[in-house]
Amino acid sequence: METCAIFKRREAVLNKKKIYPQWFVIIPLLLYILFFLFPSLMGVFYSFTDWSSRTAMNGLHFVGLQNYTDIFTSNKDYTSGILNTFRFTIISNIVKIIPALFLAIMLQEGLKGKGIYRTLFYLPSILPFVIIGLVFRSILNYNNGLLNASLDAIGLGILKQKWLSDLGTVWGSIFGVDAWRGIGYVMTIFLAGLNAIPKDYYEAAEIDGANFWHKLWYVTLPMMKGAIMINLVFGITYGLKVFDIIYVLTNGGPGHATEVITTYAFQLYSEGQYGMSTALNTILLLVTAVIGVAIVKVMSRKEAGQS
Amino acid sequence: MLTIEEVPNTDQFKGQELSILVSAGWMDNRYDATISRFEDTYGCTVDLQTIPADQYSDILQSDLENGTCPDIFWIQSNPFAIDSVIVDPEKYCIDFSGADWQNVMPTSRQASCMSGDKLYGLQIWHNSPEYVMVYNKTLFNELGITSVPTTYDDLKKDCATIAAKGITPWFMPGADGWQHQLSFFQIGGVYQEDQPTLYDDLNNNKATFADNKKMLEVLGQFKELSDAGYFGEDWIGTDSTNMSNEFGDRKCAMAMANSSFIKQIQDDTGTKDEYGLFLIPLGDNTWYPTNPAGPTMFGYKGTKNADLVKAFFQFVCTPDSLQEILDNSPAYTNLDVNVNIEQHWLPEEEEFMKTVDPSKMGISVLQTGTKYTNDYWMDFGADMVSFCQGTMEANDVLKNMDTNRAKSAKTAGDPNWK
Repeated sequence: METCAIFKRREAVLNKKKIYPQWFVIIPLLLYILFFLFPSLMGVFYSFTDWSSRTAMNGLHFVGLQNYTDIFTSNKDYTSGILNTFRFTIISNIVKIIPALFLAIMLQEGLKGKGIYRTLFYLPSILPFVIIGLVFRSILNYNNGLLNASLDAIGLGILKQKWLSDLGTVWGSIFGVDAWRGIGYVMTIFLAGLNAIPKDYYEAAEIDGANFWHKLWYVTLPMMKGAIMINLVFGITYGLKVFDIIYVLTNGGPGHATEVITTYAFQLYSEGQYGMSTALNTILLLVTAVIGVAIVKVMSRKEAGQS
Repeated sequence: MLTIEEVPNTDQFKGQELSILVSAGWMDNRYDATISRFEDTYGCTVDLQTIPADQYSDILQSDLENGTCPDIFWIQSNPFAIDSVIVDPEKYCIDFSGADWQNVMPTSRQASCMSGDKLYGLQIWHNSPEYVMVYNKTLFNELGITSVPTTYDDLKKDCATIAAKGITPWFMPGADGWQHQLSFFQIGGVYQEDQPTLYDDLNNNKATFADNKKMLEVLGQFKELSDAGYFGEDWIGTDSTNMSNEFGDRKCAMAMANSSFIKQIQDDTGTKDEYGLFLIPLGDNTWYPTNPAGPTMFGYKGTKNADLVKAFFQFVCTPDSLQEILDNSPAYTNLDVNVNIEQHWLPEEEEFMKTVDPSKMGISVLQTGTKYTNDYWMDFGADMVSFCQGTMEANDVLKNMDTNRAKSAKTAGDPNWK
């Protein structure tokens, strides 16, 4: 009987231990539901209404899929805004992840002053977008910007460009500034991944006669899958939600050349067309959710395969 | 000329408080002295609630809706704004019909203060030439350009002469996003002249911007000047920050600006060059950019101090107050009122006004003469840039304006768009 009572007490203690962490979850979960999930679902709901700046006077009406139909059929080229968002997501990740990987490898090796380089590369990512926008709009100004003035000064005036107002160069300028800002951050995550790779693997590979590329392909990249995946997830969600860097550099211009989903959503909101604006944001939410779930599934499958 | 007298003081307002809700920039310091005299005259106090411009509209709408609006509120009015911003003036505004001060405002401004035949608002604003061409008269003379261009062909010839000297003929700050489209909208009279019922038809949804030949012609001329480089090498990427210096350094010869910009050039750069004004010559325009829009004050119908509100409106319209308001507004050279006050017109303004045919001052600029147009100012500007860069057709620029206006009309429940 006594043994049975001890077991019961232990079971109760164990159950308490199991329950204990759930209490921890409740508060953040409530906050998450209240400040993220609920507003997001409200946003989805409002995307099916004619919510506007005049709703207080006219009332709110259900309009079905009208806002979504308008997005894909109106004269205003929202579709190119959606395509530009995908374009930014893909290219901005390529121009950040690949150079950041090589920078990380370079700074992982015994480079003199690598701590200073790491700091210098990381610094731009802590600058506010508004400051970056002001600085680069000034640097990239055609008439009196630092870049064109420097090109002139070294006799390369022929390379001068209208960096932010020419259709052929504006996206390149945006990708360039975004890479300048973001490479250090991506590199830092890669450095953490590189630090976790045991040195023995490289020594073994060297004994087998592997050169730099062999080591990169057969040791570094397979061992860095986790870091690459993290950077990809962060990069893709950042790319799909992109707003600040476009807003501060071009505000969607010249004309509508660099409009993305969020700049259109912002404009619609400013015009008081909240329903249309939330419809655009809902599209963004859906795309982000689908891509996010897909990435998580791929990651889970790979983790399951490894175990 | 009218002379309005203040309401006699019989201590009827002693101890009362008058609250005023206004957006930053609409009253500023120019009403301070008048408000102070009003307080002294009637023994009351004025609670001035100045709200940052970007939050003002939301706060006003919420106050009107919740019945918590101060005694007096302001809106940026135009002939259509009362119905589109206040929506139900009968419910929210004191009816001032028959007030002595109504004719203090010129008829064109009264349109921005009335809904139907009822007077609701008071608009005291200046009437300086807004966004006409400011040009360097000395430079023009030195280049042998003896008269200002009055037609598009003249303008092109003069631009070619100026550009040949390595000077930007027409400084166009496209990166600001809101300036370049003024060249299209400020010449509303030419569109109406070409199609005499155009404004009414646009307001009744019987006409469209799309396919309007004169508008297409003006857009085409704008693109031609852009393609020729007459707006500068990179007008799309240039903002107005450095505009006065460009004038002072003689790097440009003309630009669209207000008459007060002349003083700014002289103050900023110390230039001794003479400057002048002329009408924007796109579309061979000869129409003055009459714009009856401006900050306008209204009395809140739910106020407990209706008589005090009425006394304040009357007090503002007295010659002493109007003179005080003008004298305390360094940026303005005049007040557009039918009251005998001492205006401070600039010599350049007076010279320019003499060149304008008075019969060509009766039509409003396109953006405030037609409903729902001004709401899409920035969109239209971006579309114009796309057109100049060859990614959009001129008629699509106009079609987008029609689509946007229809959207606003639908939201406003405008019966003409049903």
